[in-house]
Amino acid sequence: MMRKFLFILALIAAMTALEAQAAMRVDIINPGQSVINLALATPLQEGQKPAAAMGQDLQKLVEQNLSFLPFMRLTDPRAVLGGSLLAGYEPPALDFRRFQLAGSDIVVTSYWPEGDSGTRPVQLRAFETNTGGRLFGKEYIKVSKRDLPEVADRFCADLLEALTGNGAFFRSTLAFVKKTGKLSANVWLVRPTGRDLRQITKMAGEAMSPAWSPDGRFVVFSHIDPRSHALGVWDSTSKKVQRIRFPGNVVIGPAFTPDNKVAVALSNGKYPVIFLLNHVFQKERILEQSNAINVSPTFDSTGTKMAFTSSRLGGPQIFLKDLSTGRVTRVSQNGSYNTEANLSPDGTLVVYSRMTDYGHRIFVQDMLTGMERQVSFGPGSDEQPSFCADSYFIAFASTRGGERSIYLTTRHGGDAKRVPTGAGAAAFPRWGMPVTGK
Amino acid sequence: MKRYALALTLVLALAAGFGCAKKTETVSDTGISPEMQAAIQQITDARVYFAFDKFDIKPEYKDMLKIKADLMKQFPSIRVRIEGNCDERGTQEYNLALGERRARAAYEYMVTLGVNPSQLEMISYGKENPAVQGTGEAVWAQNRRDDFRVIAH
Repeated sequence: MMRKFLFILALIAAMTALEAQAAMRVDIINPGQSVINLALATPLQEGQKPAAAMGQDLQKLVEQNLSFLPFMRLTDPRAVLGGSLLAGYEPPALDFRRFQLAGSDIVVTSYWPEGDSGTRPVQLRAFETNTGGRLFGKEYIKVSKRDLPEVADRFCADLLEALTGNGAFFRSTLAFVKKTGKLSANVWLVRPTGRDLRQITKMAGEAMSPAWSPDGRFVVFSHIDPRSHALGVWDSTSKKVQRIRFPGNVVIGPAFTPDNKVAVALSNGKYPVIFLLNHVFQKERILEQSNAINVSPTFDSTGTKMAFTSSRLGGPQIFLKDLSTGRVTRVSQNGSYNTEANLSPDGTLVVYSRMTDYGHRIFVQDMLTGMERQVSFGPGSDEQPSFCADSYFIAFASTRGGERSIYLTTRHGGDAKRVPTGAGAAAFPRWGMPVTGK
Repeated sequence: MKRYALALTLVLALAAGFGCAKKTETVSDTGISPEMQAAIQQITDARVYFAFDKFDIKPEYKDMLKIKADLMKQFPSIRVRIEGNCDERGTQEYNLALGERRARAAYEYMVTLGVNPSQLEMISYGKENPAVQGTGEAVWAQNRRDDFRVIAH
């Protein structure tokens, strides 16, 4: 009896594993990524009727979100024979065939049961059209109209995670600066989709190089006023900003290490060198120095690799320091002016900007093979690249549209998409995942 | 018409007169001697210019820095902030470092000439404070510079 029970248990486990293996995956890491066609079925409410206002609004937000994924194509509802209004939101009432014929790989259904006090729950499910297998399903409870953008982001993050293994894009918030004049810029936050735009500092002087702490609590930045450089520290819990000065009046390009400490270029009385600060933002030790400029540190998620910009060989180039052995190697091999390195969190790639005859351009180098790929082509100048936590998306600043704005591309390049940041020049995008949300 | 021209001339002359009087009054109010006024002017007027991505002081600017240094030694109450700047071509973080090297080059040269370090301070604005707007080498050359600002006297 026991043996029979164990056999059945093993069979169920094997079938579950098989189902998991069979689930659709999108390889966003290797070149030649595939394109996925996704259809959104008409939102339903009780009685299998089309859901009213909130259902349509959420659908629009999800569509806007998914348009940021370069490997996803949304199926035009007019291309679905019989329409996208279904008799149900899950099998067997769900007719996959009509979506297969329209070329859709995935169909997403949404169902809005009755709620109370002006809120309603919503159930969102994603199915593969070929197998009818469910990729995932979730219910978001007590949803009001105000919550719709948050629900759209959470759903898209879950969907992205189910497809690629990483939903960081829709969980991220970009810190960036908006310039309002000479020596005048402040730090702002925005979702990569352009939502939740807000200003977090209101200081005279110029903020530069914002960087999130890994725990999502702080944003640090360089702050320059007519008399001094300082390290700006914005605390998301108190919403207050500290301005910390250092001897030598140099504070350039702060970055957090994975253990929540700050590395920043400060003066050693001769050259800017890269210091590690302790948890209360005091100098702890030197991470890198030479008789040359050393700035712009960036770390992988293990904290053992640090890329930085140095002029030790003449013009500025990108170098990598193995912090466990102290060994420094040159990374950028082409061009005479490479700066603004940013390591992918998985440590496999470094992205940087190179000065060319036509302005700066963004390049990605594979740390294992040394192969370099140009991922931005202007026009104007493309600068300040930054990897998302998924090591796939790259945000950068560009003057391609006239005024400097923030754009998104990927480790493979492709069409850049502008991040809506409102009026004014925007620069220095840096990804982070605040724990506090709105 | 002649009468109108005469009246206009009179008004302009009076305005010029007031302008002069005001200037004299300002100088007198701040207590700056004409010699110090001239020294401040000489220290702040002349700039040091640099080649692209360089921070070494070119020989043609060494005499100018010597004059500034002599004046600062003559007037030890004068404090000067050296402001390092870059052109728009480089990237912002690297330019902040380069601007610091430019300011420091002038600072170190003046200290070797005998200026008390307490009379000097430095800052880099990178490419954030251009003297001239625009593009092209003629513009860029004017922006790769050290400015000298008197902050106390």
